[in-house]
Amino acid sequence: MGGSKGNLIGKVKSLVTELKTHWNTPAEGKYVPYKEYKDLVFAVGSNYAGAKTLEYITFAASCFLIMHHYDLPYLTFSVINIINMPLNYISALLWWFVCDNLGFLPKKTEKKFNAVYLSMIAFGLSCIFFDWSSLFDQTSGFITYLNGLEGLNAKACFKVFGTHFLYTGWVGARNIFWRKKLIPKYGRYKYSLYCDAIPKCIMVVLIGWLPIYNVPDVASRVWMANLLFACFNVFGFANNIEECSKRISPNLQERILVRSYPIKISHIFNSILAIILPVIIGMLRYEWADINVFRFVIPITFIVAVCFTMFFAGRIKERIPQPPLEKKVQIKFWDGMFGVLKNKYLRINTIVSLIDALGNGMLPFVTILYFYTFRLSGLPYSLIVALISFAGTPPDLLSPYFLKRFSYKQIMIFYQLSRAIGNSAIVCAIWFCGENLVLCGTICIVVLFFMEMTKTVPTTAGHDMNVRIHDYQMYLTGERLENFASVFGWFTDPIKNFVGLLIPMFLLMYGFNSNWEVLFVDSVRRNIIAVPLIVDIIGFSLMTIPYFFWDYDSRKQNMVMEVLKRRAEVTEKNAKEEGLTVSGGYKG
Amino acid sequence: MKKDKKAKANNQVEEPIILDIPEEEIWTYQIEGLAAPHVNKPYKHFTFKKIIFIISIVVAVSLSVYFSILLIANKDAFTYEKLDNGNYQLTKFSNTGFIEEIDIDYVTSVEYDKENKDPETNFTLVKNEKEKVTEIKQFAVNEDNVLKVVNIGPDVEKIDGKAFYSCWALERIEVDENNKYYCDIDGVLYNKDKTEIIMYPCNHDEYLRQKYGYEAEIFREEVTEEYRKQIQTYVVPSTVKTIGEMCFNYANLRDIYLPEGLETIETLAIFKLHEPQAEDWNVASLENIYSYKPKGVVADSTFTSQEALGEVYNSLPEGLKYIGSDAFSYNQALTYVYIPESVTHIGHHAFWDNVYKEDGNLKGLVEINVAKSEEEFDADEIGDQWAPQYDYLLFKKTINVNYSAQRK
Repeated sequence: MGGSKGNLIGKVKSLVTELKTHWNTPAEGKYVPYKEYKDLVFAVGSNYAGAKTLEYITFAASCFLIMHHYDLPYLTFSVINIINMPLNYISALLWWFVCDNLGFLPKKTEKKFNAVYLSMIAFGLSCIFFDWSSLFDQTSGFITYLNGLEGLNAKACFKVFGTHFLYTGWVGARNIFWRKKLIPKYGRYKYSLYCDAIPKCIMVVLIGWLPIYNVPDVASRVWMANLLFACFNVFGFANNIEECSKRISPNLQERILVRSYPIKISHIFNSILAIILPVIIGMLRYEWADINVFRFVIPITFIVAVCFTMFFAGRIKERIPQPPLEKKVQIKFWDGMFGVLKNKYLRINTIVSLIDALGNGMLPFVTILYFYTFRLSGLPYSLIVALISFAGTPPDLLSPYFLKRFSYKQIMIFYQLSRAIGNSAIVCAIWFCGENLVLCGTICIVVLFFMEMTKTVPTTAGHDMNVRIHDYQMYLTGERLENFASVFGWFTDPIKNFVGLLIPMFLLMYGFNSNWEVLFVDSVRRNIIAVPLIVDIIGFSLMTIPYFFWDYDSRKQNMVMEVLKRRAEVTEKNAKEEGLTVSGGYKG
Repeated sequence: MKKDKKAKANNQVEEPIILDIPEEEIWTYQIEGLAAPHVNKPYKHFTFKKIIFIISIVVAVSLSVYFSILLIANKDAFTYEKLDNGNYQLTKFSNTGFIEEIDIDYVTSVEYDKENKDPETNFTLVKNEKEKVTEIKQFAVNEDNVLKVVNIGPDVEKIDGKAFYSCWALERIEVDENNKYYCDIDGVLYNKDKTEIIMYPCNHDEYLRQKYGYEAEIFREEVTEEYRKQIQTYVVPSTVKTIGEMCFNYANLRDIYLPEGLETIETLAIFKLHEPQAEDWNVASLENIYSYKPKGVVADSTFTSQEALGEVYNSLPEGLKYIGSDAFSYNQALTYVYIPESVTHIGHHAFWDNVYKEDGNLKGLVEINVAKSEEEFDADEIGDQWAPQYDYLLFKKTINVNYSAQRK
């Protein structure tokens, strides 16, 4: 007993010494000093909490602002996706080309790109200020078709179309400008925070205060809301620092260590927020449906999170072994395309995501359970959400063990099967004892708890594997091609869009539209939750199959990293020999 | 066995890797078990691969867009399903954006007038009188902001209680006199013998305003006694035994008179009655649920005076047996409810969210009165959280339930 106590004290002492020694300089073989761990906790914590807060504001049927105030038909969102789809194909080409060359384009190409983007902005604005539909014959099949679309009419369709042009042009032009300016200084993962944080705060405030939801005509409300949210989406505030932290070290063990401890600890900020926010919201007159949620609660929370993020983000570095920017591999368009298609693991992931699309369009069933079955709000809601999200924390702390002990293939197959089994249990509970709220609720909560518990290790493994896949891509093609990787989406997105329409059409049949209160009807709610879940269960079962072909292991990854380090070392040496000043490179 | 496991686990531990890569091979060095790098080198059969790639993309996108457009298109404003007996069921009505009145009697389609350029008037609804419509499916008309009047034809035999849901502009449902199964009383849908009230249209108050000559809607404080009587009061006729599922939801009513003899109030029957407001949010409207003991048959739903109805009391009616789930939910203007001895079933959340806190004080339905004793009441079929709850120390607390209570 005494021995073990002494042992423990000894361990604590050595940990303190270790922290002191390597506070500013990392240990041998490692790359991240402990001071950076501290910064990570605060920077990722506030960045993650801010990004999570933004999830309350989305242009989707599941957003409370849209649900209670805008009152937009459910199918309209799918219609807008289809209107935007053709332009997405063209704009994606330009986007990947710019991004995977880190914004550094030949001058002539840059001018051409800017001309295209500015033309898009001009066309978009013309659609918004002028009614292009009036140029067509109002009795033509085209116009009557547009007039018959759910929640839209011909005029609104043209405005939605124009809005996407405006958005694409604006985002594209900003992308070239800011990447060139900021990537050399801040790296490729966190640079956007420095140009987006302030405008994002302004947009968050505007979303709450602009009373577009009071526009009486649905079609006008749809296009105006679409325009407002398009402007909102021009500026990002994703979980950038955590993305950066995934590339914080070329040492695989150190990467996982960072993900498992400082990153996990940083998520506590969001967990606290997830408890406090619903309590504050529960105190408002109309709770979640109260407009003051979007006027005060969300903007204030978000702005505070942004301030903390920007304060602590400075010292966090990305450390991918890569040649200096002056010597980076220039990616030609078709090389980028074929380069990613060569990557076997991206192909496997694509098949998985295609099968995953079976569940597209389903409503957030957990939210429905909480709000419409169990009528949770305020602290009880917070506590249950916190309890369930906490379920993932202990296993995540053991992630390094699980990732060592089990292969990625085993973890992912287990993950898919556990989702299928968990969802089956929920379907049974809703179907067979839905009338008994206490019993049904208890079963659902217990199952959700276990599903969350078994989710975090696969999630960590998935994040880590995504980084590894791009390391492998860098080995294959000399660049990570993270954006060109979206070419798979060209094949899968149309199919996903189509499949994603099936569940909304089905929900519409059961009476679900923009008025969520139909979910108070037991029979309607049961069908709306259970039937899409059954489709999802089939999807999860099928998703195990592609993982049987996965063979990328740690040994291969380590060899890839050795190749990348060697390339960085040689190219930097050559650049220096040529008398070039080098920036943005990392030798590992 | 244990050793095997340990060995297996150790296999996963990364071994230090040292690769000897000559400088000239940094872009070509192939790792065993992985594909060879391909950096700044031309591809074999480059043009052929490009063509295949482009064709595949074009085919995938075209097919998907085509099928998606087909799926979302409201090809026809009216969708029907043929029944076994050769008649039709209306399964979906999708407004073209300008249809304010429809007849549900024969299979109907929209035809456009090429000469007329005005989208509001350039169409006519054409009926095929050989194809009768006899049924209306649940949610056949769902989330419509334009439709004002529905005319039910003589041959319609079956209307689902949820057939007209969230029809925010719907003012009247008129039923053909010759219909054997349904009728209407001044635009409110009943079954033929008036034992069930099926649907009080969401925007029926607009029709009443026009009928009584009001130019605009009158809001909360400005409401006059006359306006309240004519527009915001509804008398359920004395023949009615059932208030149908979702019957009164979202109606703008302050007072409802229920007859003694009423036995069933279905799920969401009197759900979220509200006064639409110009700004921000809807205000709860339902203030009183009265019951009356009619002297004779009360067939008219218009309120003239309480005396005309016979004995009136502020309560649910004696003889009521069944209260469905969420039957009275979200009526925060309601302040008094008395549940008579006859009630044997109360669905879950029957009076949900009928109480709220303002300036620290409880408002709305702050207590509920039950005729039965607690033991008798608990022996009945009582759903979970049937009584309203309010925020109490960050949790929810159920309001006081007064058992063995006397009616006011």
